[in-house]
Amino acid sequence: MALPNQQTVDYPSFKLVIVGDGGTGKTTFVKRHLTGEFEKKYEPTIGVEVHPLDFFTNCGKIRFYCWDTAGQEKFGGLRDGYYIHGQCAIIMFDVTARLTYKNVPTWHRDLCRVCENIPIVLCGNKVDVKNRQVKAKQVTFHRKKNLQYYEISAKSNYNFEKPFLYLARKLAGDPNLHFVESPALAPPEVQIDIAAQQLHEAELIAAAAQPLPDDDDDAFD
Amino acid sequence: MASTDPDRREDEEATTATDDEDTGAPVAPIIKLEEVAVTTGEEDEDAILDLKSKLYRFDKEGNQWKERGAGTVKLLKHKETGKVRLVMRQSKTLKICANHLGPYFPSIIADFYFIFTSVLPFDGKIRCVRACDFAVLSTMSVQEYAGNDKACIWHAADFSDGELKDELFCIRFGSIDSK
Repeated sequence: MALPNQQTVDYPSFKLVIVGDGGTGKTTFVKRHLTGEFEKKYEPTIGVEVHPLDFFTNCGKIRFYCWDTAGQEKFGGLRDGYYIHGQCAIIMFDVTARLTYKNVPTWHRDLCRVCENIPIVLCGNKVDVKNRQVKAKQVTFHRKKNLQYYEISAKSNYNFEKPFLYLARKLAGDPNLHFVESPALAPPEVQIDIAAQQLHEAELIAAAAQPLPDDDDDAFD
Repeated sequence: MASTDPDRREDEEATTATDDEDTGAPVAPIIKLEEVAVTTGEEDEDAILDLKSKLYRFDKEGNQWKERGAGTVKLLKHKETGKVRLVMRQSKTLKICANHLGPYFPSIIADFYFIFTSVLPFDGKIRCVRACDFAVLSTMSVQEYAGNDKACIWHAADFSDGELKDELFCIRFGSIDSK
């Protein structure tokens, strides 16, 4: 479901609505998938931001238009317009903040008022944090409302692909759909002159003075 | 990673148990997709290096390193042309987070495809590692190499998105156990 100002693509695309309280990690989760980065700084989303996110599957390339919505009501949360024509959804809460789980039924109700019978994944984010307030066995809402549930961590990438994989399988009705290696095209030859090379070396030395983002775990996958 | 905290372990077990259980309501599919032939683009190349790693790119505007991906980095040598490129894929989604030839540092040495410059904050000096040394490290002394938590940085004209972009990359390797 493309917006008028968005390029359309010649492969299947789906509107994915992502809702949940402010600060639960919706934007960080989307960014993690888009660029690989993990943003710690909290900047509330205003209104909605739509990000195209592509995946390669054994059934070809697919795209989710991720409607990353403002969780904070004062920044425009809860507008029906965001939900219209939603084809699948993620409801996110923060396992380290009990209130965000308590509010899940509200997000679910608002979503279902507009979008009927779409696949929905409930995500408990930040499971890398040691002091959880919502334990796995306390999460029961998905059973009452027949949602899929995943514990995820945008920080450690734990289960970070599962919500998209689940939704893709449901949308296509194919439980065997899986992600595959995207084709690594041959990069074109590049000529680098001496001046450019010197610039790069200077940039490298400057970059080397900056620390890497802290890594308290050593998970390489 | 392994936690000795019983609470935590219990959580992890509970998580594993529910992981692949589908509790979702049945929904009607909205699209029919056919299986397609999968090409990795790496068919005509041999992997001369294949390591778990974490890749960072330098954000020049913000003057900071940002994570780019965690997964498997490969040096791929073309079977006919002998050209070597670096390809890295994010684990689980298998998306490409780096794909480039070179980098070349002809002023230092012309015969080698890759020269990694190790960085000031990690071992206090800039040092060059040639591709051949790098390959040796991958088979013989990775533990020592990773144990020192060294990282490498280099510049590349990267083709991950299908267009050339100037990037500064930094890579860290997992321990030999994670291979």
